[in-house]
Amino acid sequence: MMERQESIAQKFDLYACYQCGKCTGGCPVTLRSKLNIRRLVLQGVLGKDLERLNERLELWDCTTCKTCTLRCPRDINPMNLIIGLRSTLVEQGHIPRTLIDALESVYKHGNPWGKPRNKRTDWIKELPDPLKVKDFSQGEQAEFLLFVGCTASFDPRIQEIAKALTYNLHRAGIDFGILGNEEQCCGNEIRSMGEIGLFEELMQTNIEKFETYGIKQILTSCPHGFNVLKNEYPQETFTVAHGTQLLARCLEEGKLSFEKEIKKVVTYHDPCFLGKQNGIFDEPRALLRAIPGLTLKELDRSRERSLCCEGGGGRMWVEASSDSGPRLAEIRVKDAIELGAEMLITACPLCVLTLEDAVKTSGHEEHIRVMDVMELVAIALGRPQPSSELNP
Amino acid sequence: MNIIVCVKRVPETAEADLVIDKTGRDVIKSGLVFDLNEWDSYAIEEAIRLKEKQGGHVTVISMGGEEANESLRKCLAMGADDAVRLTDPAFEGADGYATAKVLAESIGKLPFDLILTGTQAEDDGYGQVGGALAELLGIPHATVVNQIEAEGNKLKVHRELEGGLEEILEIDLPALLTIQTGINEPRYVSIMGIRKVAKKEIKVFGAADLTLVANETGLSGSDTRIEKISFPPTTGAAKMIEGNPEEVALNVLNILKNKGGLA
Repeated sequence: MMERQESIAQKFDLYACYQCGKCTGGCPVTLRSKLNIRRLVLQGVLGKDLERLNERLELWDCTTCKTCTLRCPRDINPMNLIIGLRSTLVEQGHIPRTLIDALESVYKHGNPWGKPRNKRTDWIKELPDPLKVKDFSQGEQAEFLLFVGCTASFDPRIQEIAKALTYNLHRAGIDFGILGNEEQCCGNEIRSMGEIGLFEELMQTNIEKFETYGIKQILTSCPHGFNVLKNEYPQETFTVAHGTQLLARCLEEGKLSFEKEIKKVVTYHDPCFLGKQNGIFDEPRALLRAIPGLTLKELDRSRERSLCCEGGGGRMWVEASSDSGPRLAEIRVKDAIELGAEMLITACPLCVLTLEDAVKTSGHEEHIRVMDVMELVAIALGRPQPSSELNP
Repeated sequence: MNIIVCVKRVPETAEADLVIDKTGRDVIKSGLVFDLNEWDSYAIEEAIRLKEKQGGHVTVISMGGEEANESLRKCLAMGADDAVRLTDPAFEGADGYATAKVLAESIGKLPFDLILTGTQAEDDGYGQVGGALAELLGIPHATVVNQIEAEGNKLKVHRELEGGLEEILEIDLPALLTIQTGINEPRYVSIMGIRKVAKKEIKVFGAADLTLVANETGLSGSDTRIEKISFPPTTGAAKMIEGNPEEVALNVLNILKNKGGLA
């Protein structure tokens, strides 16, 4: 429950709002949701109409892409207001069933996908011998911890990204290891769903684990993990890099050389948690531009203006509250095809899932293929591929 | 209305790789994840909704070791007022009947108008405790209940029957109902919610607090004893489909088509 002595406006520092509406104007989900973030801030300022929160299902439509907060000329953080209201709902227990399943799965199994903890490393069993991965939990040491993430650990499609990243790291000569079956959820999505208590517990046990194994440098394949480790965890003992950052650095230092041509026109979709939230725009592009034969075309809405794919803020586990209008990922796919791209490249497991779904639901499987930067880099580095790999 | 809800902490086995232990009468439980029995989560939710609607007091009761506190605290966080744990080595190995005897003895000491249990437990699936408990307490009961309407000192309850039929009963209080899944949507229990009830007292009763003698409880008080458990024999009828998700999906589609499973 909200503390009595402190109003919502005080708690979330809303009084500076002059209702310019830049937040709503930039909000990607206003296209298909009742959610009106400007009005919500006003209701917060006036302390009005926020009593029956559990009836406002649109609060779960927010993807926590942070556009509202980044565009606010008054330095207000409307996204935090949404997360705060969600946390009230979480404490009351009245949240969509599918989100309950995801949260309970994280509590019980350490991942939101309902999979047992001891199957977390199944994906490495499929790696060929030379790509053996070190495991801190088995007593091995390495320079970097690769924080694999739940989706890359368990989702069969995204496991391919983890395997490609593993290949790339080996090729770049990076000394890395994983936490094995001791890895658990990073908490980024849990926090954004408003389950602050669970987030705190995850963070605490993760930090203890990092300290136990003497981890100084963490590498993530997922921008969501990158974001939470970098911006929400205390930073005294370790540094964090996203896979594209580390590999772009290796490229610059001449540790990576691409041997295979990829004659494709591609475009790049900036993941919100990598791009607009953390300013990593150039590294993935540098990797793509270095691939021989590749043509990189920019989407109109790129970099800071990138259109959210609707995969963040817990939205992987709950549908939008209204089904008006196309999915944003479908708009994204359409934009990429109109641009003449044969491949839509991104750098985030959740973006890959939403965009790939959108390719299928909009019937474009013959026209465009969705891939992670890491997968394309692996191909260009000469990773053996099935022949159909590059074609839609 | 004084409501008592009987709950059980059970291992989740749906996704786990189960191993039978040396005795051959149980599975190895280390490494398994435990939670409140699914049917019981609907029972406690229903009790709290009844309390929220018309006032009253909800007591949650569980037979088990100290680890049962986890499930009891979850119920307290959902809104139960009191929690009771029945713990004694003499209670171990109880079947549904022996469990019901211990519950009946303990509940007999408490004021109650309504007792709710889950229809069955996820682990042993006996579904006996509710009915046996009602008999021992000498009160009417209804099983597989999927709707409750309070009407003075009576309840109107809906029971789920086979073939899509529903039975509506009027039942006098005090009564016992075994609750079916789907009767409501159990609320989420947040970590903050659990923290808030972390210090709340859980009353513990053992065999010495009850008038039952040793051979009436636990394994020796049970009418049934597990001889052995085993995995169903593998037959040739099941076919494992391997490959990536696309290949598997296509394969399944073709099988359904060829076998006439698709219109």
